[in-house]
Amino acid sequence: MRLLFLFSLLAVPTLAQHGDAAGKPPQNPAIGNPVAIDAGKTLFAGGCGGCHGPDGAGGRGPSLRDKVMWHSLDDSALYATIEKGIPGTEMPASQQPPEKLWQLVAFVRSLSTPAIEMNVPGDARLGEAVFLGQAGCSNCHAVQGRGGKLGPDLSNAGGTRSLPYLRESILDPDANGAAGYRSIQVKLHNGQELSGVERNRSNYSLQLQDRTGALHLIDMADVREMKASRTSPMPKDYKTRLSKIELENLLAYLAQQSLRPFVAEKK
Amino acid sequence: MKIVALLLLAGALVAQVKHEDIVRSPNADWLTVAGDFRGQRHSPLTQITAANANQLVPKWVHHIEKATGLRTNPLVYQGIMYVTSNNEVRGIDAASGRLIWQWKDTRAKKDGANRGAALLGDRVFFITADCFLTALDRRTGAVLWQKQYANINEGVFATMAPLAVKDRVLVGVGGGDTGMRGFVAAYSAATGEELWRFWTVPKKGEPGGDSWGKLVEYGGAATWLSGTYDPESNTLYWTTGNPWPDFTGQERSGDNLYSCSLLAIDLETGKVKWHFQFTPHDTHDWDAQAWPVLVDLPWKGTPRKLVLHANRNGFFYVLDRTTGEFLQATKLVDQLDWATGIDAKGRPIEVPGKAPTPNGNRVCPGVRGATNWMSPSWNPDTKLLYVVTLEQCDLFTSSSQKAEPNKGFSGGGAGPKPVDLGQFVLRAFDPLTGKRVWEYPMTGPGESWSGTVSTAGGVVFFGDDDGHLVGVDARTGANVWHFNVGEGLTASPISYAVNGKQRIAIASATAIFSFGLFEPVKAVPLPLKR
Repeated sequence: MRLLFLFSLLAVPTLAQHGDAAGKPPQNPAIGNPVAIDAGKTLFAGGCGGCHGPDGAGGRGPSLRDKVMWHSLDDSALYATIEKGIPGTEMPASQQPPEKLWQLVAFVRSLSTPAIEMNVPGDARLGEAVFLGQAGCSNCHAVQGRGGKLGPDLSNAGGTRSLPYLRESILDPDANGAAGYRSIQVKLHNGQELSGVERNRSNYSLQLQDRTGALHLIDMADVREMKASRTSPMPKDYKTRLSKIELENLLAYLAQQSLRPFVAEKK
Repeated sequence: MKIVALLLLAGALVAQVKHEDIVRSPNADWLTVAGDFRGQRHSPLTQITAANANQLVPKWVHHIEKATGLRTNPLVYQGIMYVTSNNEVRGIDAASGRLIWQWKDTRAKKDGANRGAALLGDRVFFITADCFLTALDRRTGAVLWQKQYANINEGVFATMAPLAVKDRVLVGVGGGDTGMRGFVAAYSAATGEELWRFWTVPKKGEPGGDSWGKLVEYGGAATWLSGTYDPESNTLYWTTGNPWPDFTGQERSGDNLYSCSLLAIDLETGKVKWHFQFTPHDTHDWDAQAWPVLVDLPWKGTPRKLVLHANRNGFFYVLDRTTGEFLQATKLVDQLDWATGIDAKGRPIEVPGKAPTPNGNRVCPGVRGATNWMSPSWNPDTKLLYVVTLEQCDLFTSSSQKAEPNKGFSGGGAGPKPVDLGQFVLRAFDPLTGKRVWEYPMTGPGESWSGTVSTAGGVVFFGDDDGHLVGVDARTGANVWHFNVGEGLTASPISYAVNGKQRIAIASATAIFSFGLFEPVKAVPLPLKR
């Protein structure tokens, strides 16, 4: 997807021009509205999904889940981009009426807005108990140094990930491929046996992290047997293991994890 | 021929890349993208072998500023390497990697990847992203002429290396994903005058014009990859891309000639001798852009001139290159579910229900194809074709939006789910049976565009999907060497010799690397103080 990366880089300056408009207009009611977001999702799959992927994860066009690329776009600039397209790129103008354009904006927004900036239902304090207790998240994940070392660090989960992304990561942990955290077991020629996650692996070297956090930097010439999974060791049963309320509370807790506090701008 | 004489006269004192030199290439020199005219990509150099390749070390790295995903295939002539990037050509000392000259078209109206240059006479030819064929003096980089051969406002652009044959330079265009009309054209190497042009989408009323329904004017069938050439029959073999819109076929009912095809074109006249369509009425963006490799082999006991073609649609084809007769097709990949096979006439036996849908239809191979423009290579000793293949399935979506050309519309889209990413596998095929002899699976994110080079030393070099240049034994596929270039590979390796020493070179995303067998570096005399 280096092609996409290039495309995204090209797109940034064009997009950035739209982002500096002084004096923000009031927020459109569609933004953050679950009904509008759902309607936008359907519209997106029919028109935009061809290039950006049915779920906005990218394809011929860039991923819209990665906020970094178009950080400076406010809602009206995003609206204008969808309405008019981006000249000089493959991004065409949309033929949709304003109401539907706003639904699209709401959906695209929801893909990437960090959870800390969203209105998240649930009780974060009870969510922390779920994180440390019955869900067992902290066995593998840490928040600011507290917790396990096998899974991704969640200290900044709410500051960098959207709410839909966090939800998906709990209910369908391998939906994004789990790159860097797939399970692996190896037996070396010297008799040593190791298991953990592969932080990286090629045909020639392996960077394995075990449950204690220890890194094992292995030359593949030293490997006698290897069992590499395409999935992470994260449990796949949270859909049934957690009640709906526990899940909401856990999400509320994760959404709060942001190294830099979020201060809502005054309208 | 008069033009050639003029060309020769003009540069009488300069070493000339003659047509005959290219026919004999590669040797120490590597004179076309594929090394030769036939697309075999086989170096006769034998210093590097399966036994000593583990002593290969980098000799130099040449960085190209601002490059992001180099696709250039280096050329080498008499110690000078020619590489291209976005609207730019460089002449590099092939022994040291030092820049000799660079030429950049700063006024080009489009940016884009570039796949390489062509050499003929005292000239190096390349194409800007906005379709200006450019002739430069190969020693100085001075411009001799520039000719616009297509207009980007009509939805076309260029990424290809031109192909220089005899007295002419062949060009094509990209843009088939957003509605345009493809063509192959020949230009005089001496003057830039257009000699002929063949449109790959016929007009209504012309043969094949009735295979299109409504959208014939913008049918696509782009010609974005250089072709190969048979000097004996004076025939070009050129592939064409998808019909447009890529993912919705209802407004272009019919086979959509000459999309997704191989064309045999008379070099002199530009007339098509025969065509073979791999994927009639394609709706998966399976361009036929992959190298047609020309080989002569006994076919069922009789010597026959063949063309081998590993196609994006998942099948490996063998055709008679004199007549275009279909001889054989076998599976290139395991992940192939849109057709159960190819019938006796060469037409796919399609599985119903494999067209793109509004919500996405999972089809194998994926949109990038079972292989693509990454270079295959042919070893005349092992009689094996080495092909980088991709085992991947994608979700193909269709759009109900009205088709408008040149507006970024391709009728839908395609891509894998993150959890369903594919795997690249280098495979060695015996064309007589169509069967795999060995395979070498790669690790990586499924993003490579790197192909192979075969060497008479018995090593096949290729770029893997994880940023390694890798050497494997040509007979067994056993790994003999690897080097981590530290970034993705989107171009294919070559082999050349300089000062009598064999080298392997490849472009990574941002740099050119050259490798050779280890030798202690000689000390230089004390440097001078300025």
